[in-house]
Amino acid sequence: MNISFNPWVWVAAFLTLSMMSFLYKDNIFYKIGEHIYVGSSAAFMLIYLWYFDVKPKLVDGFMYNTGINKWILIIPALLSLFMLMRFIRPVAWISRWAIAFTVGMGSGLGITGLLQGFLVPQIKATFLPLYVHGSNTLMSIYLSLNNILMVIGTLSAIVYFYFSKEHTGPVKKISQVGITFIMVAFGASFGYTVMARISLLIGRVYFLLHNWLGLV
Amino acid sequence: MKREIPLFITFITGVLLVIALFVPHKPFGQLQQTFNDWLIIVGGFTMILGLDSLLLHNWEKIKRKKEGWISSAFLIASFFITLFWGFGEGAIAHRSPFDPSATFLRYFYTYVFVPLQATMFSLLAFFIASAAYRAFRAKDGNSTLLLSAAALVMLGRVPAGQEVAPWIFAFVLLLLAYYFFKEGSKTTGTQKTLYLIGALVSILLIYPVFYILLHYLNGIADWIMNIPQMAAKRGIWIGISLGGIAMSLRIILGVEKTYLQ
Repeated sequence: MNISFNPWVWVAAFLTLSMMSFLYKDNIFYKIGEHIYVGSSAAFMLIYLWYFDVKPKLVDGFMYNTGINKWILIIPALLSLFMLMRFIRPVAWISRWAIAFTVGMGSGLGITGLLQGFLVPQIKATFLPLYVHGSNTLMSIYLSLNNILMVIGTLSAIVYFYFSKEHTGPVKKISQVGITFIMVAFGASFGYTVMARISLLIGRVYFLLHNWLGLV
Repeated sequence: MKREIPLFITFITGVLLVIALFVPHKPFGQLQQTFNDWLIIVGGFTMILGLDSLLLHNWEKIKRKKEGWISSAFLIASFFITLFWGFGEGAIAHRSPFDPSATFLRYFYTYVFVPLQATMFSLLAFFIASAAYRAFRAKDGNSTLLLSAAALVMLGRVPAGQEVAPWIFAFVLLLLAYYFFKEGSKTTGTQKTLYLIGALVSILLIYPVFYILLHYLNGIADWIMNIPQMAAKRGIWIGISLGGIAMSLRIILGVEKTYLQ
């Protein structure tokens, strides 16, 4: 046993064990750890936003840009100020201007981003040949079957989420195929998520046994 | 005016971004990047609104000595310690707290932030396991599919899983055969024959399933992720995109105004 004498390792071990204590039951150590996490995360986020977003884009922009590139920054500065007007009740309505800008941005980017990033590429990727000529017959069957499954799975999953028509008759049959694919997808995603969480858990247990207690 | 100006701002911002997609030349070409920068700046200030709410709520708890006020005190203390440490490092040492040599990154991030975050998320492994117990019982065809896909992906992604998976599935098939045999012995006629056929098929499947999983489990897990999983996700993504575009159009055209309330 080669226990660590680094006080920071002890702090990390205490916080790790505090969080893990929730597995026994909700207790004061977990609550303290949880609140420290919320408080420090909020401050961390604020520092991050300042150093990576607001300072380089607004403050440095004002200091180092010239001409129109400098003065145009008055608009986001004003919008930011308007956002903070929510604290002053008589003029709180001005904050709607900043909210309107962010909502407009979200909507504009929603259309362009979803079109370019999701809709068109996904549709394009689904236009697959239903027969693929492979190196041998077995390969041809395998590759063709994959493409057929991909097309059927995509279309039936879309039909499953199509609620403008009642799911009866052929629509019901197709949506039942869709739910089969969706179940496999959810199962696979679940398995993937569990693996990610388990690897985090292994990381924390390894920290306790190796970095803190020096047992392994 | 209090409603019209925001609606106009939303309309102009949204329409300009859509125009920028189709006209990638000056002055529209750079508009998307410029607006994006502005959004990041405004978004940064929005954080202050959230912080105000968080801190005031916890301060009230401390002031009134409500239940859990000690935790709230820890929250406020950790907030200000982190804040002063981060900004202090920038002001005193004249370097970014995210610099690899910064004490903020070396001590706070490594020994406070990472343990808390990683442990918090790793706890989800236990809650997911308990949720899985409820959701994954093979009650019908769909939940059996869910269970099989999850098990194959989980076992197929780790070396140890690849070693034990053939034995697990062989054992499950053996149990299935036992179940069919037991149920078959309680019935008579055609039903009994069907149960016995089920038991026989389960026993006959043990060897091929064992062999396939022993040699091709990794490939099966990859195939599940790349074909059926991808197909269903693609359908979901297309649906989300269509819904998102329709909602964005409603907002830009002023049909959807709930964000102004």
